[in-house]
Amino acid sequence: MATTESQLEDQEPGAHAEGDTADEAVETRVGWRYTLAKVRRDATARIGFYIVAIVLFIAAFAAVDSNLSRLTFGAVSDYAAAEALPIFDHPTRMPPPGEGNPNQPPAFLDGGTLSSPLGTDPQGRDYFTRVIYGSQVSVSVGIFSTAIGLIGGTIIGSVAGYYGGRIDDVLMRAVETLYAIPPLVLIIVFIVFISGGSPDIRFAVVGVGLTFIPVFARIIRSRVLSVREMDYIEAARAAGVKDRNIIRRHVIPNSFAPVMVYATLQIGVTILIVAGLSFLGYGAQPPTPDWGEMLRIAHGRYMHSNIWLSIWPGLAILVTIMGFNLFGDGLQDALDPRIKE
Amino acid sequence: MGLFRYTIFRLLQAIPVLIGISIITFALANLAPGDPVRLMLQGQEVDEELIRTIEARYGLDQPVHVRYWNYMTGLVQGDLGYSIHRRRPVADLMLERAGPTLLLVLSAYVFALATAIPLGVLAAKRRNKPADHVSRIVALVGVSTPSFWIGIMLIIVFAVQLGVLPSAGLVYPWQPPEAAGHSGYIEHWIESIRHLILPMIALGTLQMATLMRVERTQMIESLQQEYVTLARAYGVPERTILRKHAFRSAQLPIITIVGLNLSTALGGAVLIETVFAINGMGRLFIEAIQQLDYQLVMGITMVLGAIFVIGVVITDISYAYIDPRVTYGDRE
Amino acid sequence: MSSDPLLRVENLKTQFFTETGTVRAVDGISFEVYEGEIVGLVGESGAGKSVASMSLLRLVESPGEIVGGTIEYKGTTIFDLEEGPDGDLRKHPDMLSEAAMRERIRGREIAVIFQDPMESLNPVFTVGGQLREFIELNRDLSSSTAKAEAIRMLREVGIPDPEQRYEEYPHQFSGGMRQRVLIAMALACEPNLIIADEPTTALDVTVEGQILDLVDDLQERYDTSFIWVTHDMGVVAEICDRVNVMYLGEIVEQAPVDELFYETNHPYTKALLNSMPRPDRTVEELTPIEGVMPEAINPPSGCRFHPRCPDAREVCTRVHPEAREVDRADGHPHRAACVKHDVFDVGYDESVPLEDGADAKPSGGETEAERGSAAGGGHASTDGGESR
Repeated sequence: MATTESQLEDQEPGAHAEGDTADEAVETRVGWRYTLAKVRRDATARIGFYIVAIVLFIAAFAAVDSNLSRLTFGAVSDYAAAEALPIFDHPTRMPPPGEGNPNQPPAFLDGGTLSSPLGTDPQGRDYFTRVIYGSQVSVSVGIFSTAIGLIGGTIIGSVAGYYGGRIDDVLMRAVETLYAIPPLVLIIVFIVFISGGSPDIRFAVVGVGLTFIPVFARIIRSRVLSVREMDYIEAARAAGVKDRNIIRRHVIPNSFAPVMVYATLQIGVTILIVAGLSFLGYGAQPPTPDWGEMLRIAHGRYMHSNIWLSIWPGLAILVTIMGFNLFGDGLQDALDPRIKE
Repeated sequence: MGLFRYTIFRLLQAIPVLIGISIITFALANLAPGDPVRLMLQGQEVDEELIRTIEARYGLDQPVHVRYWNYMTGLVQGDLGYSIHRRRPVADLMLERAGPTLLLVLSAYVFALATAIPLGVLAAKRRNKPADHVSRIVALVGVSTPSFWIGIMLIIVFAVQLGVLPSAGLVYPWQPPEAAGHSGYIEHWIESIRHLILPMIALGTLQMATLMRVERTQMIESLQQEYVTLARAYGVPERTILRKHAFRSAQLPIITIVGLNLSTALGGAVLIETVFAINGMGRLFIEAIQQLDYQLVMGITMVLGAIFVIGVVITDISYAYIDPRVTYGDRE
Repeated sequence: MSSDPLLRVENLKTQFFTETGTVRAVDGISFEVYEGEIVGLVGESGAGKSVASMSLLRLVESPGEIVGGTIEYKGTTIFDLEEGPDGDLRKHPDMLSEAAMRERIRGREIAVIFQDPMESLNPVFTVGGQLREFIELNRDLSSSTAKAEAIRMLREVGIPDPEQRYEEYPHQFSGGMRQRVLIAMALACEPNLIIADEPTTALDVTVEGQILDLVDDLQERYDTSFIWVTHDMGVVAEICDRVNVMYLGEIVEQAPVDELFYETNHPYTKALLNSMPRPDRTVEELTPIEGVMPEAINPPSGCRFHPRCPDAREVCTRVHPEAREVDRADGHPHRAACVKHDVFDVGYDESVPLEDGADAKPSGGETEAERGSAAGGGHASTDGGESR
């Protein structure tokens, strides 16, 4: 924590001491365009971007009804919409249990069939469809809870950073306190006690989101502290512009870029946490196809008899999170040329 | 301000955070819909009289602030509360289960530091060469993989397929060998290590990946410092520069991150203990949650938070020990 | 003055290979340093002074690389290339190996003092420890002797309580005190040549004066040669014996210090001298140099100074002058690279003047038409015009 403070001090003597509002705006825009150009050139960032785009595409199209998903996923989509996302009330149709052969191996092994390329689960459901559907839960939970953390953190961080003094002290102590309890533990406690013992993915979304407010609040605050010192903010304040408007119009836009980078990386972290929650039984509930939940079932009884059940969802998590991490890293490199490759 | 005074100062600073943690745990457990006794009984039909008796016995019929005050005064005296469900003091229950978790977390850190620091230094030294690319891929995969899945994969490969390492439980080196059915200390300790390897790697991989990234970045930055150029200009061999001149200041952020990551590591222990069936605090927490044993849940949350806070204080003090600027800055 | 120079640099070229192109940071400079003299390397920031001085130790960092020229120190070859059998340039067999550079040259023979005393000392080690390490390494002394020597040197450079300060960390020293430590460090290794890279730029004027006096004093006592890199003509006047003026990677004028000040030959040197505040002039008389120095990645055609030169004529945009000897003073040559001088017979006097010296285009390659129209626009130079 000592380091955070000293890093802040380093940033404070604003480099744009003489910039006025117009200049600043131009610079921000040029900065963004420059950033995007660099991301486009950077190979790793591009790979990350494509992975994220593909996963988002899959998640989005797996969410539509069975007719469209048939177009998208071909023959394997017979149960497609059956276990659709439970966050919103979605018309669901339960898959006929045990219709396929239970625990069928993947297509490239003896006994596998092409109609179930990744094999089937213990209830005979097509595993490929379930893994594809898992992207829905992971990605939407990742995005929604990151959004909660981002919005909450922006409000707390900008207020704390802008006003400083006692408000800052109190808010930052609160943030530090939340930070102290292991996130997974805090989220489980939250989910279980708030839901009265019947966990649900919606509680997980809110719980994860709330838990990550401190992380965003810290970043926003440090950005705000450096922006606050700039001359044009002083000028706006001297001209009698309301604090709320200064924060909204100047401080937040100027703090935005690093926060977006962080949010991208945070989506990966969130997906990781939600997978852990589901693995412990406090995230998505059966029969919702969620990667963590699938691993929970695989770990319980099928680690010896059908190792594929353990492998596919984990690989899916790995690829998805890696996509967000690569993309976030690429953005970060582009925004912070200090340590570029 | 000397190191001693700085230590005192940091410890005092930790107190408000500890109070904050107690408020959060208390609030979560008490402001939840439904009262704890009913929650615990999980809808069983019990007559109102009994519930009121239980509440009175554990002071649950008093207003919130009184209950919090009782809880706080208990905490200060080292009393973490009493598990109604298990009919035992929370502190006793936790002491029984703390050992495996601490063993697991500490070994994971040892594993992470022992791999991350040399690899990070190597990557910085061979920047943009194959060794660097490999280390960056390892780091990327490490931060992108769920620890529990790594655990499952390790079990499948090393326990199920190869059959060379055990897949569940720990052997506690502090117990007498006879308790684990071993004939001597050597066998006992070898068994402890064999049981520890897989969970240690599973829990430590994320830490390793994070630390390796930081180590690489810090070393690259450190190698660009003017004092490193100066050392080169005075004929200091590159090895000495890597191991001494650039190395020491590059470790400062590592220390901070080791402290801050403690909370991720403790959270990860819950998952890893589940995967490897280890009876530590993580399992205890899951059991308590399943039984809605809210006193025990509060106790565990409080202790995990406290371990983190103390961990951060310790790392801050070691930081001050390595970086002379920290204590000096406060004097000015 | 002995006849063999301590250090001889010939046609040194150092380039940086960046994504956007090759930066010719040092582009064929030649100079000598004799025993016991202080040689100045002067120019604006970006002229390549620091790169040149780091090249002398072969410590140019990637993507930079020495691509040509010869550096000789006391008869040993620090850098040289030869043509291989296949026509490619390769390292000369006499050139010192990296290990030999480290063990025999760096610190031991040539030491450095950097510009920023705040960044030059490692914050996590004691000042004494760093001093002792370098002394131990470069003078083969035992740890305890090196410590005694370090304390002696700290006293020598005017640090009070050296025994106590020895144990302290850099952040406990002021900027001037740190610079004294760095001077102590350089002298303590007993080198024959010290490269001082803008060592007083980061300091207050009063402290700067003290440091210059100290160096003057110690230089006489230890008879060490110095290469003094600076952008400040005042410092040059105070401390240097001979001066090299650098502009965009080239040495444009080279002369003993008095000769340079009183018989200035190159318009750039003149401009540098005119921009220097002096007690015998008012602020109005100060003439800042027009424009900014172009980037070394795309230097102007012809004479690199022509876009900013008040005396530039059409010929200057075409002819790239190499430095030639125009005079001799105190047994040293006075070289200048300006076609104005008679030794360059390229028709300067007949050439059309370019009157828009003020219109400093950052890069070269303008067409004559553009240039003409700009001149026709009649740009008034911002300093109120120069009478010449």
